[in-house]
Amino acid sequence: MPVPVPEEPKSSWADEVELEGGALPPSTTEVFDNGIKIVTEYKVTEEGKKVKIVRTYRVEKRIVSKSIALRKIWKKFGESANDKPGPNPATTIVGEDVYMQFISSKEEDNKPEDEGIDKLKALGDKNVVKCRNCGGDHWTSKCPWKDTILAGGKLPDDKKPAAPGGPGAESNKPGGSKYVPPSLRDGGAKRTDGPNMARRDDNYCAIRIANLSDSTTETDLEELVKPFGPIHKLYLAKDKQTGLCKGFAYIHFKFKNDAAKAIARLNGHGYDHLILSVDWSKPMNSQ
Amino acid sequence: MKPLILQGHERSITQIKYNREGDLLFSASKDNKPNVWYSLNGERLGSFNGHQGAIWCIDVDWTTTKCMTGAGDNTCKIWDCETGKETGNIPTASSVRTCMFSYSANMAVYTTDKAMKQPCEIFIIDVRTIDDSFSRQEPILRIPISGSRVSSILWDNLDESLITGHENGEIIQWDLKTGKKINSIKEHDQLINDMQWNKDCTMFITASKDHTAKLFDAETLMLLKTYKTERPVNSAAISPIAEHVVLGGGQEAMEVTTTSSRAGKFDSRFFHLVFEEEFARVKGHFGPINSVCFHPDGKSYASGGEDGFVRVHSFDSSYFEYNFDY
Repeated sequence: MPVPVPEEPKSSWADEVELEGGALPPSTTEVFDNGIKIVTEYKVTEEGKKVKIVRTYRVEKRIVSKSIALRKIWKKFGESANDKPGPNPATTIVGEDVYMQFISSKEEDNKPEDEGIDKLKALGDKNVVKCRNCGGDHWTSKCPWKDTILAGGKLPDDKKPAAPGGPGAESNKPGGSKYVPPSLRDGGAKRTDGPNMARRDDNYCAIRIANLSDSTTETDLEELVKPFGPIHKLYLAKDKQTGLCKGFAYIHFKFKNDAAKAIARLNGHGYDHLILSVDWSKPMNSQ
Repeated sequence: MKPLILQGHERSITQIKYNREGDLLFSASKDNKPNVWYSLNGERLGSFNGHQGAIWCIDVDWTTTKCMTGAGDNTCKIWDCETGKETGNIPTASSVRTCMFSYSANMAVYTTDKAMKQPCEIFIIDVRTIDDSFSRQEPILRIPISGSRVSSILWDNLDESLITGHENGEIIQWDLKTGKKINSIKEHDQLINDMQWNKDCTMFITASKDHTAKLFDAETLMLLKTYKTERPVNSAAISPIAEHVVLGGGQEAMEVTTTSSRAGKFDSRFFHLVFEEEFARVKGHFGPINSVCFHPDGKSYASGGEDGFVRVHSFDSSYFEYNFDY
């Protein structure tokens, strides 16, 4: 089957000089043993550009009955009388790939959709709607606590006793229309220790590997650290332009123990003719 | 699958047909040059130049020596397949709507339109020898049709009777010895665009403007199956190897410009022969499909559309592996 591959005109000036003078190189036909035929043609387009056309054909031999074989050697006639042997690209083109779309029976097609809708209907407002004020299953605008003092507080029974009383604390609460950043909510000081420590836990499973050679890739790194345990995240610092490794990487392990093991084992380990230095990753803000 | 797109016509395709072995594909269109192609690689063997009007029908005999075309220029011509030369020319009173060789190709039939104060007529001619006297030769049989005009025709496989599909949806079986009606049914409400045999000529499928294709028993004209779609069916074919039928259609040509190709549903649709259920579609044309036919080996099929292209599709393995769930 023919696969026409139109090519851009040659950009090299040397080639252009060669072609100048109007003489186009003769078309060539190469036939390879594996049944591939490549026909190269040169022609001048309407805009005066010289174009090289390379067409690749696969030559196939088929055994057919005599009558068909006889018809195959018939001379072309009519509009095709001047066509060369083989398909003329002006009349025969290979179309884009199309796929047969198989249709499962119509009842089945409709079912899943209906089921989905039914499920949603069965759920009602329960899980679809959540009040931003109190977390209840109704629209925020219809919240029964809307106009009370509790509006904006998370769950009415939760944090309230924890928050210290007094007018000062009340004004700090994330109520009304004023946005309060999370770090300041419930009295900024309170947050610094407890919850933040917990949140940074994943940082504590992160290790930093330095002194990697610039040919290191993410797969190499993965192979290096995989034996220690499951990995949550892997980051290899790469140069934006060259795509080469910048010499360090961060690995987030799922478990702290694995991370500790990796540090103990890999720190000072020789890798790619370099000695790795591995340590806990420092938290972002302290850098 | 990568279809072969055959761009030999300047106007919409009216009918396409494979020869008996399936190595050649004949295409007729409203421009006045029917084409013949090698079905394997889409190479054009040639065109039959000589008609002055839209070609409505094309047929080829079982030895692929003669080809017959009927056209809107009030002629029916016989061509030599090898050289593309016109060997016979029959002038008619109005445009030739359908034509077909009998199975043995000793006879052929063509029908003319009811137009220019001429009635619709069926002509049966002897095509064994085609020489200079051919155009003056009297037809073997002439059957004038008083009612609705013939829009499609089939020979039965023993060359003894004819089946005609009519503009009003009627199907009539004719006895050739007497020239009388044997049987007639009216299962369609509108024009029958196309009729095609199954492989052994025991059943035939009709394609009608009334949005259905129907399968009939050849002998009794009993309605066997109905394939329903939501648009006019222009052509239908039965697979020679599987229990599949393919339907081609789309809304009418005059409405095409007002709909997008996505909404137009110009895809070929595959139905299961027995269960009457659609199981697959193939997209490609950007106009309604006017003619579909299966390759005699059942491994590929071709469709010709209002867009003037013929697309030859070779089925992927997914088609052969597909099993219809029932």
